[in-house]
Amino acid sequence: MEESKRPRFIKGRYYFFLLLPLFIFLPFLTPHHSLASEMLIFAIFAMGFDILFGYTGLLSFGHAIFFGVGAYTSGLILIKFQAPLVVGLLGGILLSLIIALVIGLLIVRNRGIYFVMVTLAFCQMFYFVALKWTSLTGGDNGLHGVPRPSIGPIHLDSEIRLYYLILIFFIISLLLALRIVHSPFGRVLYSLKNNEDRAKSIGFHTDRFKLISFLISACFGALAGGLYALHLNFVPLETLTIITSGDVVIMSIIGGIGTLYGPIFGAMLLVYLKNIISGYTEQWNLIMGFLFIVSVLTFRRGILLELREKFFPTKS
Amino acid sequence: MERGGKPPPLHGPLMDIQFIFVQLFNGLVLGAFYILLSLGLTIIFGMLGVVNFAHGAIYMLGAYAAYTVMEVYSGSFWMAVLFSGIIVGLIGMVIESTLLRKLYDLPHFYNLLLTFGMMIFIEELIRIIYSPIGKPFGTPKEFLGSIDLGFMLFPKYRLFILGITTFLAIGIWLFIVKTKLGSIIRAGTDDSQMVDALGIDISKIFTLVFGMGAGLAGMAGALAAPLQNIYPYMGMSILTETFVVVIIGGMGSIIGSIIGGIIIGELITLGVIFWPPLAHILIYIFMAVILLIRPRGLFGRAKFFE
Repeated sequence: MEESKRPRFIKGRYYFFLLLPLFIFLPFLTPHHSLASEMLIFAIFAMGFDILFGYTGLLSFGHAIFFGVGAYTSGLILIKFQAPLVVGLLGGILLSLIIALVIGLLIVRNRGIYFVMVTLAFCQMFYFVALKWTSLTGGDNGLHGVPRPSIGPIHLDSEIRLYYLILIFFIISLLLALRIVHSPFGRVLYSLKNNEDRAKSIGFHTDRFKLISFLISACFGALAGGLYALHLNFVPLETLTIITSGDVVIMSIIGGIGTLYGPIFGAMLLVYLKNIISGYTEQWNLIMGFLFIVSVLTFRRGILLELREKFFPTKS
Repeated sequence: MERGGKPPPLHGPLMDIQFIFVQLFNGLVLGAFYILLSLGLTIIFGMLGVVNFAHGAIYMLGAYAAYTVMEVYSGSFWMAVLFSGIIVGLIGMVIESTLLRKLYDLPHFYNLLLTFGMMIFIEELIRIIYSPIGKPFGTPKEFLGSIDLGFMLFPKYRLFILGITTFLAIGIWLFIVKTKLGSIIRAGTDDSQMVDALGIDISKIFTLVFGMGAGLAGMAGALAAPLQNIYPYMGMSILTETFVVVIIGGMGSIIGSIIGGIIIGELITLGVIFWPPLAHILIYIFMAVILLIRPRGLFGRAKFFE
């Protein structure tokens, strides 16, 4: 493969961890501690999404399914069974995996726009299920009263402790994601993105790789969703809307797809901006739509790559 | 949209059969809207390779345009439908020639994301201008009341929708099959670069096609307004249902849109008879089954914009 076609940041891929002190102090830099938690949660969601979109080249408009199902399932397990925290999160991931497997088997044969439309349609289906199954999900009001079980002696009632728990999950997720995209398996995914027919003719079962990428991506989404339920103590119905799917897409685009760090940065930036701007005006969605249009038209390679290109132009 | 129709007076098995007939017709009416929307969506896609996420928002714009013509300028319903088609069509042409055009050389998903951003933007703009609360929109006085079809009573306005949709669908079909411009559009759907190379200004055709699709969606919005209150997010749910129609019918296929539209309309209205919560979920299950049997839909073509 040509050097220039490789995903960026390969060599310095672990440099990111030099920023760790920043992450440790992040909750003290944001207006309130819980905003930092939300930034990391969406960062986990976005990095999982990037494995599918940025590295495999499949655009899913139904990723809210996994975020939402993860959030509802984890929330329900914690409420109904008073289960330990990890069991709640794992339950959400497991159900999302099963759903991703069913949807994945139906659509991996489809490419391009069909993939987008079918994932979006299924997202709407899960939205309807959550909306109508009021006895289980609380319908329009969302699922209230998600507890935060203690881990051993550590109580999670303070926002700052929850933040550090989420930070641990974030670091584990990031190490996993880095491991995945830079493994031989990750290289195959990247070859699918560039030329699926060629990968197929070399002898890879491309559908199988696409399916696995979809499943991995769903796991990240479900973990983020479960953490979101803990973070809010409640699961809003909005987690399952197409807007949530769109949010993670725009986070990735703004940060720069196919870089892993880009979507993390994009997610944190967007969550932060949303929180700050919502304090001044109620028209956040208008700004969001505008941002979507502008970023697709002007900096579609992402802020990080555009800046990098500006200061460290690649020789060509 | 008022999907179920009015609950029937239940007086015995005979009434039940009549109710099923009414629901069958209501399914056709609902299908008519899906047809109007998916025709535009599929023609735009076939020609430009753009999955227009803003199609639902454009439909909503049509409803608000009709509302404005009727309430603010106290025009007639006919004028409202006509004007909303024209206004929204023009807006579509502006969008195509200023924004979408910039991204044709890039992978298809960039245009899709652009229209997604436009969808959010348009919906929010309308929400700010007209307030998030729905506006009532009465049945036009020309179409009040019902007609006795012999075996059942059916509202005049709903029959009118069936008539006008048939008229529009046949009109589009004749336009595409019989006229010179239509043959250029068909050729452009197959290979737009080749059409361009043959000396036809394809970019003008692109603008025209997008405007046509948008205009159709706008008219659908105006026609839907009397059946429901209009509200800023009315385009959102019909967009995904239109996607399901196009996935079932096959992207880029006109006949697929028509058949898919009728199937989905009937599935929803008949689903309401058996178990209302299931009605909306039924169409996605049906979509899954179709995807299993025919991954590209009933009339989809292989290797088409993939």
